[in-house]
Amino acid sequence: MGWEVVFVAQMMLLITPELCTGCRLCEGACSFHHYRVIQPSRSRITVVKFEDRGLDVPVTCLQCDDAPCVAACPTSALWKDEESGLVVYEAERCIGCKSCITACPFGGVGWDAETNSILKCDWCGGDPQCARICPTGAIKWVRADQADDTKRRMVALRMQEVAQNLMAPKRAGV
Amino acid sequence: MELGGYAGRYLRVDLSSGKVWVKETPKELIRNYLGGLGFAVKILWDEVDEHTDPLGPDNRLVISTGPLTGTMFPAAGRYQVNAKSPLTGIWGHANAGGFFGPELKFAGYDFIVIQGRAERPVYLVIDDDLVELRDASHLWGEERNGRFYGGKTTFETIQMIREELGDETFKVAAIGPAGENTVRFASIINDLGNAAGRTGMGAVMGSKRLKAIAVRGSRGVRVAKPELFMEVVDDAYRKLLVDWGDALKETLTKYGTPNLVEAINAMGRMPVKNHWTGYWEKAHLIGGERIREEFRVKQASCFGCLVQCKYFVRSRKEPYAGIYKGPEYEALVSFGSSLLVEDVEAVFYANHLADLYGMDSISLGMTIAWAMESWEHGLLTKEETGGLDLSWGNAEAMVELVKKTAFREGFGNMIAEGSKRASEIIGRGTERFAMHVKGNEISAQDGRAHQSSGLTHATAARGADHLTSLSCLEERGYEQVAAERYGADKVKDLVDPQSTRYKGWLVWDLEMLYALGNSLIICWYEVGWPPVFYYPDMARAAAAATGIAEFGDPNEVKRIAKRIAIHRRMFNVREGLRRKDDTLPDRFLKEPMPTGPAKGHVCRLHEMLDDYYEAAGIDKETGVPKDETLRELGLGELAGRWR
Repeated sequence: MGWEVVFVAQMMLLITPELCTGCRLCEGACSFHHYRVIQPSRSRITVVKFEDRGLDVPVTCLQCDDAPCVAACPTSALWKDEESGLVVYEAERCIGCKSCITACPFGGVGWDAETNSILKCDWCGGDPQCARICPTGAIKWVRADQADDTKRRMVALRMQEVAQNLMAPKRAGV
Repeated sequence: MELGGYAGRYLRVDLSSGKVWVKETPKELIRNYLGGLGFAVKILWDEVDEHTDPLGPDNRLVISTGPLTGTMFPAAGRYQVNAKSPLTGIWGHANAGGFFGPELKFAGYDFIVIQGRAERPVYLVIDDDLVELRDASHLWGEERNGRFYGGKTTFETIQMIREELGDETFKVAAIGPAGENTVRFASIINDLGNAAGRTGMGAVMGSKRLKAIAVRGSRGVRVAKPELFMEVVDDAYRKLLVDWGDALKETLTKYGTPNLVEAINAMGRMPVKNHWTGYWEKAHLIGGERIREEFRVKQASCFGCLVQCKYFVRSRKEPYAGIYKGPEYEALVSFGSSLLVEDVEAVFYANHLADLYGMDSISLGMTIAWAMESWEHGLLTKEETGGLDLSWGNAEAMVELVKKTAFREGFGNMIAEGSKRASEIIGRGTERFAMHVKGNEISAQDGRAHQSSGLTHATAARGADHLTSLSCLEERGYEQVAAERYGADKVKDLVDPQSTRYKGWLVWDLEMLYALGNSLIICWYEVGWPPVFYYPDMARAAAAATGIAEFGDPNEVKRIAKRIAIHRRMFNVREGLRRKDDTLPDRFLKEPMPTGPAKGHVCRLHEMLDDYYEAAGIDKETGVPKDETLRELGLGELAGRWR
């Protein structure tokens, strides 16, 4: 689409599982962006669901600094771009050994059976569609050096709600 | 151009012979019936008739998706289950959210037709192109000396099948003991807590000895015009999040459907004490505000939804303690206000049990309400109820009866027949407390407080049902929507719940609209309430997804919707239903509302019914669609055969 992205600071996908409702819009948006198909099996982000407990956790590549997948890759098809912070995947160099899938401690790398290549988040070139579509704020695209602020603020907002509830006069009959 | 939206194939499974066919979805079926509900109308018309026993091997279970299912269009995560109903003996269908429907599409199938009856219990596994029937004896209960033992619950079944198949991501739709025991309002549960609830689709599955269907799909859905479709989706998002954003944020998204308890009670339309009245002073005890403050632990969602009305609750009180999928408005009424049960935690638990055992919470609660009112009038004895005290508000008795019903134990065996049959078996005047239309228990509206909802209950094809044509224009006074759709001159009457003017036309328009929604398959909570999407929006989405240019014409999709609705009505005509069956229990027509804001009103059904028939092109004398209506819809071959 001709994006020209200038990074002023390293960005990251901030994932807050307790906000995730498990709608899987991120999976649809991811697969559509990359393949023009709504196909969760080829999404680079997956919502892991524990239905009995109502727990939903979006799992994707965390773009590690000292990335096990980069260390494991025998052909340097995966490498860390120090400027943006992205772990870049070059399909032409990939021999399909799947070492990266084995090495990743988070399950952030998957396998695409249709193209025989790996599924790994590429931040959609700088505008991650999962964060764009997420209706609850469970996935946020934020500056890495400000992620803790964002997180603190979300927690603080909830604390404020709790405080308000505590201070509110007790309702009759309850 | 390649056809988008559809998978292009369907499955036919004959359980008697164990054979499975993969076939191409017929082009003319797509062109004339669109998907979902529409597909099922055509298939059930062709393959089932008035002689078919709903619980026999000849009945068909049609599980269908629509062209928008599994796409990015908001709230397109639902699927339809359709069959001749064992509860009513007429048209039956149910619709469920969660993740099962999209997964079926991802596996590459538009719908499944299930026929026959397996010799031994089985479950169906669909793993993309691999389709097999597996033994389900270990999941199925057994009968010994007239008593029923075991039978895995829906939750156990779903988890056990996932374990057997070695993948947690299998989407499973299963029946519980109630379905095995052909409780007439048994449901099908998918993804732990999403119910295809109404009209006993789980009993049909049970009669076929099919315990569950497990699906895993990797193919995804292609739309015909991806760029255009995403524009349509963006517009839909804008409508939901910006135009209707504030309304949704403060209602469905914040509370889920329990928000309706306070709102509907305030208009005096919330069934209390077996539909005796429409207002309850204690409604706040089961209301959305209380549930949110004291019990809600987590928000949840179906596939691809922005509204996100699902939620989880936690109860800490024994014996109801646990974390459960939160009950919807309908369940809060049927287990709560309908029975005068004030303990909302007992309601959570009863609703959870209904999901575990696989029963429709509406029919179940309303049939218990029938029993409680019969008890109040001394028409049931303790011997008959097996020692249960069925006084109003007895939460323990309610919970006990829910369990007994699933296993058809004692008096539960009577409840399992639904209020119409049970009252006919017992007789003694209990019939007048059976609140049903065409055998289906009346959902949580009241035509005395909201005239058009009475018409909806009286005319809906699957019996008393709100989702077929309920209007929310009066509920919330949506004047602008009413003016845009039907003209400014009609607004005053349209938004007045007690006015019967134009309501016949309104209800018919909505019946077609919701038939369209159930065929594309998008959720009622963006078509019905709030009234966000109308024919032009749906036409645009259908055309962009499928690439079928004709679908882009709002008049053409409306014509298809009319074909679906009229053909569905013909299904009931073939079963022998006529105008006399489009009615309500005397309670709504003759007993004025005793308390609350709607006090003194009755449902003036006769003032609306003729308008409804006229709007739909149905003969007013007989209630049979007119010959010219049938011909205009390309159903000429049905003309003149039923009077």
